[in-house]
Amino acid sequence: MLSSQKLLYSRKIGYLFLFLPFSILAVIRLYPMLRGILLSFTDFSLLSPKDVNFIGFQNFKKALTGDKEFYSVIYFSVLYTFSVVLLSYVFGLFLALLLNTDIKLKGLFRVLILLPWVIPPAVAATNWLWLLNDQNGLINLALLRLGIIDSPILFFASKEMARFTAIMFGTWKSMPFMMIVLLSGLQTIPSHLYESAVIDGAGVLRQFFRITLPLLRNVSIVCISLMFIWTFNDFEQIYLLTEGGPINATYVLPIYSYFLAFFRLKMGYSSAISVIALFFLSIVSTINVRQQRDNF
Amino acid sequence: MSDQRKIIIYICLISAVFIISLPTLSMLGTSFKSAGEILTSHKLLPSHFTIVNYQKALKQAGFGINIRNSLIYAVTVTALCLFVASMGGYAISRFKNPEFRGFAFLLLIYQMFPAMLFIIPLNLLFKKLGLLDTPYSVILGYLSSSLPFSIWMLKGYFDNIPTSMEESAMMDGCSHYQTLFKIIYPVSLPGMAAVAIFTFIRVWNEYLLASILLQSEKYMTLTVGLQKFVQEFQIDWGGLSAASSLSIVPSLIFMLFFQKYLISGLTSGSLKG
Repeated sequence: MLSSQKLLYSRKIGYLFLFLPFSILAVIRLYPMLRGILLSFTDFSLLSPKDVNFIGFQNFKKALTGDKEFYSVIYFSVLYTFSVVLLSYVFGLFLALLLNTDIKLKGLFRVLILLPWVIPPAVAATNWLWLLNDQNGLINLALLRLGIIDSPILFFASKEMARFTAIMFGTWKSMPFMMIVLLSGLQTIPSHLYESAVIDGAGVLRQFFRITLPLLRNVSIVCISLMFIWTFNDFEQIYLLTEGGPINATYVLPIYSYFLAFFRLKMGYSSAISVIALFFLSIVSTINVRQQRDNF
Repeated sequence: MSDQRKIIIYICLISAVFIISLPTLSMLGTSFKSAGEILTSHKLLPSHFTIVNYQKALKQAGFGINIRNSLIYAVTVTALCLFVASMGGYAISRFKNPEFRGFAFLLLIYQMFPAMLFIIPLNLLFKKLGLLDTPYSVILGYLSSSLPFSIWMLKGYFDNIPTSMEESAMMDGCSHYQTLFKIIYPVSLPGMAAVAIFTFIRVWNEYLLASILLQSEKYMTLTVGLQKFVQEFQIDWGGLSAASSLSIVPSLIFMLFFQKYLISGLTSGSLKG
């Protein structure tokens, strides 16, 4: 049997299967990525595309020492990512716990909660802009009518409000994923653990901290690290909501990189910003890859 | 569980669902309001039902072209992706030599790369090949960004299929490719469905790549096409809501009828650890 298995799964046959996926990814993914990393060591600009010089680490030096904007972008990137991951985890876990009970219409609730996850960011952003606008947005009208506020809240005008709104939007969009993954994690916890905890007189909170949270540890690590990578890399959600404004207050690294490349046409410097983002991400990714190692 | 506790759970869930779907509800409501009512009404739902916004969005603004383009791209990429990803998934599921493990590892790494890092060189590459502003550019771009995730997802499904089935088929004289088509595909249909839905939604929803690689209106996707309703000082909220509502139709269909596959796809990647 062993010899036949060796014959069936010989390398040559494996190469045949790998040929197409590998060559496609090599040409339109690997090659551009490596070239992107190389670009970060040059002064390549679309203003003078013929004149490209290798300038070593100068782009990185400039970003870290001579670019004030860069630090404010890093600050909001980190703030945004941590807030969205934390808030979506907390709300997602809360909803998952509610759905992991023997209530009716579970399927319907699940579908409705999943909705933000499948809606195109371009649509979701315009919906929020409409809902939150200061003249006839439903939220402002409702708050005014209830007498909670005297004048409309300008959700996108000030630096702080725009950042707050962007974080709320990101949380709204990311929370369904957390909910679904944590819910299936909850469903793997054997119910007899809770039954014996009840016999021992443990209350709801004690059950949550002693049984639920510890047993969700692995699932939590995976979904938090995945969400961290996605949120940190996300361009569309914030860009479509605020375009990075007002006055760059909601710039995150991908938006800054985009702005440098397509408005200031500094492709080299833009790539260096992305490489710095990659460095941040590689720390988190090590956790994710380690968790997936058994699957290789 | 006591009735009291159940009631509290229902109240929490219903209010959560209401808040979560409020932006979508308000979009649907607005899309059926008349231009006058949009700017004056304080209600979520229209008092006079009208489809004039939809007619305007499709006819005057030509949003139909954008929908058609997105549909073509999404279907093409989904078909290509299933074909290519099933080969890749099968390879890294069945073959364990170092080069196959290396490829699997590379796919995981791909997913953490900032998109901007490869979009600039991809743009330059497509320009050189004369593919910029053609449907091929986005189809190839989307294919490459869907493949890593799809290959991993299918690998997960293939791992659960016992090798004895394909071994006996091969003993009976089937080639590897025949085995893949006759044995593996039929058994892993749920996995293929999940990958297909994911790829479709990913392409359908994407904005950044399309906005950079395409310029002509005749090739433009719907996410970028929505900008037509936004002028510098004036936004056509009626047209925008109607076009946006049309844009979520496929996702709604998948959510309502294929929820099982969507959820199994969402969780398969993350629950193994």
